[in-house]
Amino acid sequence: MSKTTVILRREFRSYFLSPIAYVVGGLFLGIGGWLYFSRVFFDFGAGAEARMGGFFSLLPLFFLVLVPALSMRLWAEEKKLGTFELLLTFPVRTRDLILGKFLGGLFFVIVLLAFTLPYPITLATYGKLDWGPVIGGYLGGILLAASYLSLGLFISSLTRDQIIALLLSVAALLVLVLLPQVGAAMSPSLAEAFKLLSPVEHFRSIARGVLDLRDLIFYIVFCGLFLYLNALVLEFKKRNG
Amino acid sequence: MIQVENLVKYYGSFVALRGISFEVPSGQVLGFLGPNGAGKSTTMKILTGYLYPSSGQVRVDGIDVQRDPLTVRKKVGYLPETNPLYMDMRVDDYLRFVGGVRGLRGKEMLRGIQRVVEVCGLARVYRKEIRELSKGYRQRVGLAQAMIHDPEILVLDEPTSGLDPNQIVEIRELIRSLGADRTVLLSTHYLQEVEATCDRILIVARGKLVADGTSRSLTSTLPAGPLTVEIKGPKNKIETQLKELFPAETGVEVRFLGEEGPEDFLFHVGTSPDSDEHVREAIFDLVSRNGWKLLEMHRRPASLEQVFRKLTLDPVEEPLVVKEASTGGDHV
Repeated sequence: MSKTTVILRREFRSYFLSPIAYVVGGLFLGIGGWLYFSRVFFDFGAGAEARMGGFFSLLPLFFLVLVPALSMRLWAEEKKLGTFELLLTFPVRTRDLILGKFLGGLFFVIVLLAFTLPYPITLATYGKLDWGPVIGGYLGGILLAASYLSLGLFISSLTRDQIIALLLSVAALLVLVLLPQVGAAMSPSLAEAFKLLSPVEHFRSIARGVLDLRDLIFYIVFCGLFLYLNALVLEFKKRNG
Repeated sequence: MIQVENLVKYYGSFVALRGISFEVPSGQVLGFLGPNGAGKSTTMKILTGYLYPSSGQVRVDGIDVQRDPLTVRKKVGYLPETNPLYMDMRVDDYLRFVGGVRGLRGKEMLRGIQRVVEVCGLARVYRKEIRELSKGYRQRVGLAQAMIHDPEILVLDEPTSGLDPNQIVEIRELIRSLGADRTVLLSTHYLQEVEATCDRILIVARGKLVADGTSRSLTSTLPAGPLTVEIKGPKNKIETQLKELFPAETGVEVRFLGEEGPEDFLFHVGTSPDSDEHVREAIFDLVSRNGWKLLEMHRRPASLEQVFRKLTLDPVEEPLVVKEASTGGDHV
C-alpha cells in the first residue's frame, strides 16, 4: 500500500465520519431518484429507444454543488485542525499528499455515480437502451467530477474556512460552466475558444458516446494544472509560513 | 546529531529568527525556553521541515532538511504545539493512519502500535473516538503519533501545556523515559520541567539565542539571594545589634522581614559572595553571645526563573554560554 493510498483511504473514510457524505449523497440520490421517476432523466426516442440524455445533461449542474461540498474540507479542515502541519512533516511527498486527497474525493464521487446504475439497468429491461452514450456519460461524468474536484481542491488549499472554500469553488465552477454562453454573447470566435476551455462542453462531447482523445487530453491537462497549482500553494506556505 | 546553523526566518516583514545556531548531540534531552514569540516554535517547524528558513540551514545526521526532507522526516517524530488530531477518528484508526504514512506495514505496524499504546498508556482508550478523550489522553495520543516509528529524534512543542498537575507529572515522566535512548528537543514554559527533564537548556528571546547551559550552570551565573535568618529573642535588640554589626559602609544590608511568633523574628541579610562566610559567622557569634536562639539561616540560590527573566527582558548582546554544559549528553 503506497502512501498515496493511505491518504486516499483516510480521505474516503472520513467522508463517512462526518454528515457530509450522507447529506451530499442523500440529496444527490434523492433528487436524482425523484427526477428519474418523473421521467425527466430519460426519454424514449423513435422506435422506443431509451436514452438517458436528461440525466447526463443535468450532471454538470448537480456536480456544481456536489463536488465543491466534497472538496471544500480537503485542505481547509486540515488547516483548521492544525493537522496540516503534521501532514507536511510526515515523510510523504507533497505530490502524493495532493494525489491522495484528490483520488479520495474522486473515489467518493464514483461510488455516488455507481448508485445511479439502476437507472440505465431498469431502462434497459423496459426498453432498448443504447449503451454507448450511457457508458460515455458515466466516463465523462467521472472526468467532469475530476476536473471540478481538482479546482475545488486547489481552492480549499487557499483557505482555512470550509464555507469560503465552498462558495469560491461554486463561483469558479459557475464561471467555467457559463463560459460558452458568455462567449456566445460576445462573438462567435470567442464562443468557440471558450467552449474549448469549458469542462462541460468536453463532457457533452464524451456523453454523446464518442470518446475523442482531445476531450481526454483536456481533462488531464485541466486536472494536472490545478493539482500543480495546489502544490505551488503548499510550497509557498512552507516558504512564507 | 542536529546541527542548526544561523537560522533566519521572516514572516513577511516580521523577523522571527535572527540567526540561531546550536548543535544537539545524539541522546541529549534539550529544553527550549523563551517567551511567547521568541522563536521556539519557528525553530521546531524548520527543524521538522514544515517551514523553510529564510536563510541558514538545519542538518540532521549531516543531511540538510531542505535538500532531503523525506529522509530527515523519517528520523524525526513531531508533536506540534497545538497537538493537532483528527477528532472524528478513533485512536486505533488514527495510529494506523500515522503508521501508514510513516511507511509502517504489517508486523512493523503492529509492533509500532503495540509499543506506543503501552508506553503512552492508551490501552483503555484504544477504541474510542479522539473527540471523547480528555486533554491528557489527547496529549498522549499526540505523543504516540510522534513516536510510532520509533524515531531517533523527538521534537515536542510544549508537550505539557494545558494539562493538570497530575497529567504534567505523567507526561514529564514519559518524556524522561523516552529521553533515555534518543534525542529529545522540547519547548516549554514550565521552568521546573526543564530542570526535571533536560540535560541542557537553550533560552531564546527576540529570535536570538541568549543562553546555553545546564540549569545549574546558568543559575550559578547570577548572585545568590540574601540570607534569611530566623532568630528567637527580643526584636528591637536583635535589629539594632545586627545593624551595628553591619554598618552601611560594609555593604551588607539588614532588613526586618516579619515575625513568626512572639520573640521569633525573620531578617534578610544581603551579602556578596566574598563576604558571605564572614557574615554567617558574625551572625552566629552575635546570637550565641547574647544568648538568643538561631532557629534558621538559609539562602535560596538564584533560580532559573531569575536567569530567564534577566535574559529575556533585557536586551542581550552576547549569548550566555556556559561551557560545561555543551559537552553534556554523552550518555548515549
